Amino acid sequence: MTCKLTSGIGAFLILLGILVMLTPWIIFPVCEVEGMYLKTVSGVQMPMKCGWTARAETGMGALIIVGGGLLIARGTPETRQAVGVFSIATGILVILFPTVLIGMCALADHPCRQLTLPALEILGIIVIVAGGYLIWKRE
Amino acid sequence: MNSLFFRLIRSSLANRPYRNIATVFVFALIAATLFSTQFLMKGAEQSLDAGISRMGADILVVPEESSMAGQSIILTGQPTSFFFDNSGFESISRIPGVAKASSQVYIATLFASCCAAPVQMIAIDAKNDFTITPWLQENPGVKLGKDDIIIGSNVIQNVGKDLMFFGHNFHVVGILDRTGTGVDNSVFTRIEDAHVMAEESGTRAVRKLTIPYGMVSAVLVKVEPGSSPQVVAADIEEHVQGTKTILREGLLHAVHGQLVATLQLLYGSFLAVAIVSIPLLGTISAMVANERKEEVSIFRALGATRGFVVFLMLAETCALAIIGSIIGITTAAGVLVIYQDYITHSLNIPFVIPSGVAILADGTGALVLALGIAGIATLYPAYLTMRAEPYEVIRGGES
Repeated sequence: MTCKLTSGIGAFLILLGILVMLTPWIIFPVCEVEGMYLKTVSGVQMPMKCGWTARAETGMGALIIVGGGLLIARGTPETRQAVGVFSIATGILVILFPTVLIGMCALADHPCRQLTLPALEILGIIVIVAGGYLIWKRE
Repeated sequence: MNSLFFRLIRSSLANRPYRNIATVFVFALIAATLFSTQFLMKGAEQSLDAGISRMGADILVVPEESSMAGQSIILTGQPTSFFFDNSGFESISRIPGVAKASSQVYIATLFASCCAAPVQMIAIDAKNDFTITPWLQENPGVKLGKDDIIIGSNVIQNVGKDLMFFGHNFHVVGILDRTGTGVDNSVFTRIEDAHVMAEESGTRAVRKLTIPYGMVSAVLVKVEPGSSPQVVAADIEEHVQGTKTILREGLLHAVHGQLVATLQLLYGSFLAVAIVSIPLLGTISAMVANERKEEVSIFRALGATRGFVVFLMLAETCALAIIGSIIGITTAAGVLVIYQDYITHSLNIPFVIPSGVAILADGTGALVLALGIAGIATLYPAYLTMRAEPYEVIRGGES
């Protein structure tokens, strides 16, 4: 794999990381950005499940950016392999946070279910594919 | 021989990666648009069938002025309340062709904060009911007793827990399977319990609920075997003034109406891509045939028949069509499954993921069509190849 291609994939991972970070807050915002909160009996407003997923995805996006940066800074076969495995793991987590680990709102008409969830699933799949490609073409 | 044939196809495809990627993309687009159209239609139809089968009726009789509201209850679960005189129920039961009739009362529940779903309460006449009774027979451990409710799959609560409507606590005894229709947003209870809830609502709820005695919202009708639901429906409308009948065909027509713009867009895209792709793929194949004149002539000089060469060209295009179609169908299915909630709400239609058999049939249909286009596109280059004389071509290459 050429150095140019390695850096290109690194830049692509950084872009994906930024998208994972921005999707739940700006691109396809979760319910709390739309002003929808969970209200307790005492009247306290709290973020719903999708809000906590959005926070977790922000962290996951930052990790993907780190992986991409590492690939640009040092594109050796070992780094490519390590970033590949790391990207697959983060991609799986990008999908698992909104589906299994934390989840989204249960109601299908909420914005988090209609747009944020599918967008994160697609981004997660792309990150996994990019990671798989790095492992496949590590030499 | 076979392994040589496949090796030839593989090396030929590998030698022209960019052109083949473009061809694969065209086939993927054709297969994806056709598959998406079929997937959406089947999803809506199967969902509607599941919803109607859950209601258990051939005909839904509602007050004339509330026919749209009655339709919405089944299609989208938009909560609504309407009533008409129960004397109509007696008249409907006596109409020839009517096997069973059962009345229901529809109550739109109160909207709470953001996280409360709009729920349609359907109060059933337990004695004559055929909506929930078959489900209860399939689940022998469950009984719909006093203050019990059976909830649709979109209503968030577990069996054994309570749900409050108009200040009245109901006990969840069962959850219905997902149908993709408005039934998923409904809760079913007995008419007697609904009346108690209405009486208590004045003191317990933020808004008083009124369910007039002797009034119902709809009458569900099952026709006798051999009778036509359309004929019976027309008789009901004629004999019971002020009523409107809702049939499966009418609901399907309404869903088609909702889907028409999207389907036209998809069919239009498919036709445009198909029409443009045939000459485009033909030109690409002709270019390839022209570039490979000498290679083909050497094959011929080595003893390959014209049929073998044509078959080779056809197999190469078909391989691209198969790869493109699989990519297109898989991507389209993935996107449609992932975005099903968005599709349901933006198009305002009932929708479930179609059955495996239906998906397989749609996928096969799209694949066969892509192969047909590949075959047509290969005809002209194949004709050119068959006409060429190997000796002349090889000599021409030397000069």
